[in-house]
Amino acid sequence: MSEERVNELLKELHEGVVEYDEERVVEASNAVLAEGHNVYNAVMNGLASGMEEVGELYDQQEYFVPELLMCADALYAGLDILKPHIDPADVGSSGAKGQVVLGSIQGDVHDIGKNIIKMMFEVAGFTVYDLGRDVPLENFVEEQLKTDSEIVAMSAMMTTTMMGMKKVVEMIKEKNPNVQIMLGGAPVTGDIADLFGADGYAESAGNAVQEAVKMVASLRKLQSE
Amino acid sequence: MTPKERVQKFFKKEPIDTMPVFSGMGTVTIQAIEKMGVRFAEIHTDAELMGKSAMTSAEMWGFDGVVVPYDMCIPAEAMGRGATLYADVEGILYPTVPTKWATLDDVELPDDYQSLFGEARMPVVDGALKYCLDYDGGKYAVGGWTLGPFTLGGQIMELDVLLKGLAKDKKRVTAFLESMTEYVIAMAKHYQDLGVDYISIREMGSGTDLLSPRMWKTLIKPNLEKVFAALDVPTVNHICGGTDLIIEMMGDCGADAVSVDQKNNVVASREKLGPDALILGNFDPYKTLVTMDAADVDAVIKGCVDAGVDAVWPGCDIWPDVKAENMKAYVEAVHKYGDAPTSAVGRL
Repeated sequence: MSEERVNELLKELHEGVVEYDEERVVEASNAVLAEGHNVYNAVMNGLASGMEEVGELYDQQEYFVPELLMCADALYAGLDILKPHIDPADVGSSGAKGQVVLGSIQGDVHDIGKNIIKMMFEVAGFTVYDLGRDVPLENFVEEQLKTDSEIVAMSAMMTTTMMGMKKVVEMIKEKNPNVQIMLGGAPVTGDIADLFGADGYAESAGNAVQEAVKMVASLRKLQSE
Repeated sequence: MTPKERVQKFFKKEPIDTMPVFSGMGTVTIQAIEKMGVRFAEIHTDAELMGKSAMTSAEMWGFDGVVVPYDMCIPAEAMGRGATLYADVEGILYPTVPTKWATLDDVELPDDYQSLFGEARMPVVDGALKYCLDYDGGKYAVGGWTLGPFTLGGQIMELDVLLKGLAKDKKRVTAFLESMTEYVIAMAKHYQDLGVDYISIREMGSGTDLLSPRMWKTLIKPNLEKVFAALDVPTVNHICGGTDLIIEMMGDCGADAVSVDQKNNVVASREKLGPDALILGNFDPYKTLVTMDAADVDAVIKGCVDAGVDAVWPGCDIWPDVKAENMKAYVEAVHKYGDAPTSAVGRL
């Protein structure tokens, strides 16, 4: 396969995600498999890099959440085709994958930001244990212990629900102080994340994408070094 | 001047003695609930407890007005989507809608929204509003509220489907939002008929954290205009999150006032909306009333007044588990800095 053809397919995947063109992504993904291209390369340098640009467009207020969601659909359309064919050896070489327990806190049925984060973790090669939404507090603790995940990421869309996250942080840190806890959602700030004893936070759904994109980018950088 | 008179005159932009302390969002606090000897989960299902918790909070802290209900599930619940009340959960959790419709194809809209007012907890809200309106001879201002059409739509069906549909399935989503608009108008008129002093329309899921200004202009604004045009009672157009890019359109929807949260640049908004616009806002209720030192609250309230609001409103529901000393400092500061006339409202 020529380098030119590889770049053409990567461009198709990238632009298909950015322009939320699911058909284009599906076509390019099938071509990657049919023509024997490296699948992990297609995921990371086609789909994921497309999502990086989506994050930038969101940051520049050119894209908003509807566009993010449609881009995510396009990305998943490609992932559904490509992910089963990724060579584990390629993923392993990144050296940065891990396990994440993820969910929207009890009392909160909003999960758009959480689902975007889930997508980006998956793209980055993490194993994601998605507990869904309106998750009872103790479920985060139990799932972390069960899976021995390095990260627990919680989301709350409203001030009226975020207090539960403080309790979860306390419960998890008591059992295992080394677990990294990320908080996200509209009402969460850096101050609140600190106050709750968390290790990090995402300012909003858009910022969460940015943070997740940075994770993907750093993974790709690690891989290329 | 009674609290009710103060708020009524405020919305008419007539001179008042001092800035009223009130909100278009919930101001119930845990101290009032504990004084009543009940749990937070209980006050959502009993008209008297709901009304009494609002009035007890108002009296305890010195508010001029109250707003009920406290959760946003009620209209979706009346359409058969249910409500999770978290009755067995320790601490404070607001009710949520457990099962939203997954697609537009699944949505079942009633022929007549009036028929929903006897359903689920709709009568509880009516009872609570009547309790508050009658309390102490009708001394206090009572606010009604509903979600805006888009945010209400997101309570009834999955929000991501709705958001994507705004671009991918515009015709059907537009029709759905028009139906939600009818629902909002029906509810708001119902509360107007009960005698509330003002109505807040909380289109809180439509800020520019989620939607582009262009989308707001074509899909949100026309429906809000219909809502405000249908009402005679004073109205408030409340949106939380990013509003700087849409504030002029918000001010152009026909409401008597706009309400914004702490993300809004009120100085710029005042310049854009002009000196006669009623602007309400915009302190962070959680930070100011829960986490901050009480000594710092005064500066936050002064900052809102200095920026140009006509009444200091929290940007969202007050988190019930407030620090008592912060609540006192908040109300005292509003009285302290609210003596002077604001841009749109003079003083006696």
